[in-house]
Amino acid sequence: MVWLAALFQLWALGACGSQVATTAKPITLYTCVNDTTIQPVIQKFEAAHAGVKVDLFRAPTGQLNARVASDVRSGGLKADVVWACDPLTMQDYVDQGLVGGWTPQTDIPATVRTPDYVGVAVLYMVAVTRTGRPGPAAWTELSRAGKVAVPDPKVAASALGALGYFGPDFYADLKAKGAVQVSTPDDVTTGVAQGIYDAGMTIANSAYAAQKSGSPVTVSWPKPGAVAIYGPIALSKTTTNSGPAQDFLSYVASRDGQALVGSSGSYPTLPGVGGPTTPDDAPTVYPDWKALASSKATLLRDYAKIFGG
Amino acid sequence: MAEVLQLRGLSLAYGATPVLDSVNLTVAEGEVLALLGPSGSGKSTLLNAVAGFLPLRSGEIFLRQRLVATAGSAEPPEKREIALVFQDYGLWPHLTALDTVAYPLRRRGVRRDLARSQAQQILDRLGVGQLSGRKPAQLSGGEQQRVGLARAMARQAALYLFDEPTAHLDAQVRDVFLAELAARRRESGAAAIYATHDAAEALGLADRVALLIGGRVIQVGTPQEVYAQPVSVAAARLTGPVSLLAGSDFPVLVRPDWARLGGDRTGVVADVWFRGSHTDYALDTPEGELQLRAPGLPAHGRGEEISWSLERSWPLPGD
Amino acid sequence: MRSGLARSALALLLACVVAVVVVPVLVLLRTSWVEGRGRLAEIMTDPGFRSAVANSFWLSAAVTGLAVPVGVAIALALRDPGLPGRNFWRAAVLLPVLVPDFVLAYSWLRAYARAGLTSEAFGFAWPQVQGPVGVTVIVASNAVPLVYLVTAVGLSTRAEPVTERAARASGARPLTVLRTVTLPLLGPAIATAAVLIFVLTLGTFAVPQVIGAPAGFRTITTLIYADLALGSDPQSFVEAITLAVLLVMITVIVVTPADRLLGGRLSLSRTPARDSDWGTGSSTTRILVPIVLGLYLIVTCGLPLLALVSAAFTRAVGVPLSPENWTLDNFLAVLTPRTGQALGRSLLLAVAAGSILLVLGGCTAALSRTRSGRAVSVLVALTLVLPGSVLAIGLLIGYGRWLADTVLIILLAYLAKLWALAHRPISAAVDRLAPAGLQAARASGADLPTALATVVVPVLRPALIAAWGLCFLTALHEVTMSSLLYGPGTETLAVVVLNSADLGRIGVTAALSVIVTVVVLVPGGALWMLGRRSRHG
Repeated sequence: MVWLAALFQLWALGACGSQVATTAKPITLYTCVNDTTIQPVIQKFEAAHAGVKVDLFRAPTGQLNARVASDVRSGGLKADVVWACDPLTMQDYVDQGLVGGWTPQTDIPATVRTPDYVGVAVLYMVAVTRTGRPGPAAWTELSRAGKVAVPDPKVAASALGALGYFGPDFYADLKAKGAVQVSTPDDVTTGVAQGIYDAGMTIANSAYAAQKSGSPVTVSWPKPGAVAIYGPIALSKTTTNSGPAQDFLSYVASRDGQALVGSSGSYPTLPGVGGPTTPDDAPTVYPDWKALASSKATLLRDYAKIFGG
Repeated sequence: MAEVLQLRGLSLAYGATPVLDSVNLTVAEGEVLALLGPSGSGKSTLLNAVAGFLPLRSGEIFLRQRLVATAGSAEPPEKREIALVFQDYGLWPHLTALDTVAYPLRRRGVRRDLARSQAQQILDRLGVGQLSGRKPAQLSGGEQQRVGLARAMARQAALYLFDEPTAHLDAQVRDVFLAELAARRRESGAAAIYATHDAAEALGLADRVALLIGGRVIQVGTPQEVYAQPVSVAAARLTGPVSLLAGSDFPVLVRPDWARLGGDRTGVVADVWFRGSHTDYALDTPEGELQLRAPGLPAHGRGEEISWSLERSWPLPGD
Repeated sequence: MRSGLARSALALLLACVVAVVVVPVLVLLRTSWVEGRGRLAEIMTDPGFRSAVANSFWLSAAVTGLAVPVGVAIALALRDPGLPGRNFWRAAVLLPVLVPDFVLAYSWLRAYARAGLTSEAFGFAWPQVQGPVGVTVIVASNAVPLVYLVTAVGLSTRAEPVTERAARASGARPLTVLRTVTLPLLGPAIATAAVLIFVLTLGTFAVPQVIGAPAGFRTITTLIYADLALGSDPQSFVEAITLAVLLVMITVIVVTPADRLLGGRLSLSRTPARDSDWGTGSSTTRILVPIVLGLYLIVTCGLPLLALVSAAFTRAVGVPLSPENWTLDNFLAVLTPRTGQALGRSLLLAVAAGSILLVLGGCTAALSRTRSGRAVSVLVALTLVLPGSVLAIGLLIGYGRWLADTVLIILLAYLAKLWALAHRPISAAVDRLAPAGLQAARASGADLPTALATVVVPVLRPALIAAWGLCFLTALHEVTMSSLLYGPGTETLAVVVLNSADLGRIGVTAALSVIVTVVVLVPGGALWMLGRRSRHG
């Protein structure tokens, strides 16, 4: 019957899918970093370390959390390396005893690292406006930019970081002037590009990518600065492949790795490595992640009173 | 006498296939017209057209002298004074027998309780009153037939259309229906068309018989006429057993009861069937094969040479 | 009927249900109970939770209330064999099923929101598209083809022409016939469709997430998504599981009595309905129906599809649709070997899922009058309502030790999620199985499998094709589960889609949808021909 044949083909596919035996065990990497950054990093790493393969699981943060939590409840974390997209998520993993305990030697500044993990890429929350409208010079001017869209801190950790930095009152003011909350920063960019909204808060990569492809948007870095959300990488505490895994971590934190990160559209953390567009005098601000971690619940509750949910 | 139904030049087709060809027919008040024809001759089509379910290619339909259908326009079935008794009973799976029979009454605006009591009476008259609470799934074939008939009777139509009921109407049911019809005829002049391929049933039930072959009405007459004086061999075959003997100019039709044992002609017995009250013989004669029916027990055996005589015959011109 | 073969088939069926449905649901129940029961009171009294539950319910009720009448009306209207362009309409009504839901919300926004297609072309927009009304309309118009399919299948096997003719010959006008005969006979088919739509909408996620959020319209599913997004915190993770479990319990309460109401067996005449038996429509309906249908399809399907295709061919979001902005770059970005492999795997998985589900769904439908069949029917509705992420979590926790990163676990996820989608269209038709037909085949020397194949399957063919097609397409378009369950070498289309969507590259995602649709239309067209011939048979 047809379906038997299909089933056989599936088994064959699955069998072919499994890795060809190599000299070393493959490293399992869990990440939410997007493809355009991860793929070159993996390829160059594998080329530089012959015989070591990287098995990639890539999914948005929510799926990543689900995968990690499921692993924990069915025999333990299967990843050797985890590369998250915000410090809060990583800190939670550390608190559960899943990752941490070792970081590579690197010149990456202390503002974006802890003893358990190292920030290797940064997201900047910037303002994006429809071309033709003036971009806000300061964040406080955002509410006057027309119909504004902000991302949802319950869904995007970058938005949560911004909330941690600005505090709920900032958003209350926006809402009073007619702002709308959408889901992810990308929804903000798309919405502004389409013309549904006039301005919004979003991630710099997303905004510049849209601008580059020709969408009618302008990017601005309002004072006192773009909110920096760094994406940390950490070693699993239960890895059985620590040698190659540590090599991978070191690679990503090295000059070569960071250069790759920079050239793929993300912002590196290592000083002196080129990255995508940053205007001269690009002011940056850093949320207090420790404080944010402990006040998360209260913050979200206060925020919920503003935009509902 | 007023006519309940008049068909003038009725032609019908399914797409490009013609099914009825210039049918002319009338049904008088109180009359039962049997529509006799083989499968596929167009009996159901004709009834469906009269009921209003099929559009005409050409021709006219008059119900009670009122024009109800032409090629261009047709009155919808629910407005025509017709009632249909379906081949496979056509009962509604979700309604009890009582509600099924009450349905036409409700459509006429009768109040529910009154409709139900009238429906119960009709079911009683047909002998299935005690089944009024059952649904079709709980009824036998015969019971379903009676419920279908009861439903038609509840309609109080001018013309009842019987579309080849799968089983014969048993005697009691038939008598009840004919009595109803007679009563209705007195009140309102109702009539019925009974479509069947069974000659015996048609001849026994009808006042007149219409023979339908290949979409054409080839003969209309009383049962005796279509049995004893068919217009062609095909018509003859429709209305009873046929033996064709060579005649002087034309072949001659001989029905089994038109020949007698004993006489001036000879033949050889080819086969014998004992039927209880009578015996059928198949004879090989010089003029052709003959079926002969004689009362009583078998008097001759196979291969015997016997004598027989012809009481009557009917010449049939070439088909 | 309980031969040895039937008994082992039943055992196999129950084993499958246990494996793909009971295990993950129990796992989730256990996780929620062990880790989350302390916080249950807190979760349930949270006002956000209360309003999300209310919203989910209202949404499901509204969508069911909208989609079922429209779907039934379309099925009734398309019966008329003399309707101009009937075969075209029968195909066109199914178009919404071709649009994957990862681009559905975007297509509507692009078509109707501020600065969208209608705004550019005609100067007016529909701002309510962003909000509860928009969510309801979009989800409902996507549910209509499902209702239409189930009802059309039910029409051809339950509401036969002779019952309608009998009614008209008894003095009923066409509308009365509809009210007193056709609709009551269709009751079970309509009920099964309504339950399906209600449950599907309870678990729907993509559209409320993209369109409901800006208006503050949250549903249980978007709450779960938000909890998972913060799910590195074990508390949020367990809260997500608990919410999903609550959703499942609500479904049990709704589905069990609804399924019981699906009436007893209605016996019918044995002659199948010929197309020519259906009553002829009036000339007014023959003009009105195409116009109304046409407008309906343009609004609910045509414009969003146009928006999608235009996005696939446009250089960037927000630039006007003039020729200088047309490009094939989005397609070129998509047509990589990796995408090809992923697409191939997804197609094979979808074919396997559709075929296996046909057997599972058929058996469930055949057993739907028995106690075990009803139990199965309720159980598979649970996995239908479970948000994909949570179902995947259940499967991972349950089977991850042995099946992680295999194709099999993805297949199990599809089977679990789509089982209900397979058995309901078939149930709508299965009364057709007059046992006499099966007995006649056995008495003529056919063993049970042959009898089934030669007597049962041909009669059920339209329903089987409908069920297979639905499952195939839904499996192909499925994103949340396969993006969570995949591993090296088992990447499906979902991974490619999420990658491009996460990068905000709507053009590329749109191009992907267009490619997937085209790839599906070719065999889909072939199936359609098959379906037409069997419907005429």
